[in-house]
Amino acid sequence: MGAPRVLVIVPAHDEAESLPATLDELRRKAPGFDVLVVDDGSRDGTAAIARAHHVPVVSHAVNLGVGGALQTGFRWAMARGYDVAVQLDADGQHDPAHLDALLAPVLRGECDVAIGSRYAAHTGYRAPLARRIGIALFAAVVRLAVGQRITDTTSGYRAYDRKVMAICQYDFPKDFPDSPLLIDLARRGFRLAEVPVEMRRREAGRSFYTLGRSLYYPYKNLLASLMVLLKRPG
Amino acid sequence: MEFLSRTQVIAALAAVGLALYVLELVRRRRLSEEYSLLWVVSSVAAAVLGFSTPLLRAITRALGILYEGSTVFFFGLAFATAMLLYLSVKLSRLGQENHTLTRELALVRFELEELRGDRPAMALPAAPGEPA
Repeated sequence: MGAPRVLVIVPAHDEAESLPATLDELRRKAPGFDVLVVDDGSRDGTAAIARAHHVPVVSHAVNLGVGGALQTGFRWAMARGYDVAVQLDADGQHDPAHLDALLAPVLRGECDVAIGSRYAAHTGYRAPLARRIGIALFAAVVRLAVGQRITDTTSGYRAYDRKVMAICQYDFPKDFPDSPLLIDLARRGFRLAEVPVEMRRREAGRSFYTLGRSLYYPYKNLLASLMVLLKRPG
Repeated sequence: MEFLSRTQVIAALAAVGLALYVLELVRRRRLSEEYSLLWVVSSVAAAVLGFSTPLLRAITRALGILYEGSTVFFFGLAFATAMLLYLSVKLSRLGQENHTLTRELALVRFELEELRGDRPAMALPAAPGEPA
């Protein structure tokens, strides 16, 4: 067996502003990694930017959400024989300098999913109070459900091994890629691990979680987490 | 025929009208047979209840309802709830299929462009300043 092949999947929805910097940084700090941009129904030329950076881009005709974009990335990675995929946000929150640290436990076979966590160690990131309450709540829900402490359930900086991709390319809780996904993965028997990383504030564009959704999100996420527990393990 | 009220007559006639309209929609192929079954069954049931006062009374008594009008409302609400749930299930499946189709289309389009040579075949980033 040769060296494991790693693909960095960048889900991007209307990220024309942030994407150039993200792709430049990837090339600078992680030149050895293959990159795929999944353009999730963007209307601002996100795909053209990826092409201009000589990065392959798969474009959804309509917006499917982060989970849907990730699933497309998994399908692409599986079809092309990648062993590990890393999800990295297009908005510049995730520093490619942490890629090696994030990948290490997956490549060593210690876990199937590595989660880059802002809170696993003291990383200097300090969230607003309302957010900290939400974070604690979801961490508690995940802990109750899977019996494991995951401090950063909403982190979108994760590495997945081939076993996870093989399942998730067809069956993925696409609407809820956060704590419900973690519960779902744990219940399927995948091993989760956290890796401390630093995250930055968004540089441009809108977050997937806008103000209007900030009230709806905790409700939806909590309910979805409970629903995942009801689902027949498939 | 004994009627409890003018309202009952209107409701019964409306139910017949609805049933006919549903059949017409099927005939014009604007409503699939699958959905029409539920609608026809429910509108026929409403018409029967409307025209047959003794039956409506019997059902009302059997269910322990005090007022015949409530029986009609009860069945109406039960049907509406069942239909909404059924549609939610259908919508979930449609959404799922839509996701899959969008994904497959995107992947196929990628491979088509790759075959035509419109884009780099592999995900290796080019060195800075390298021509396309």
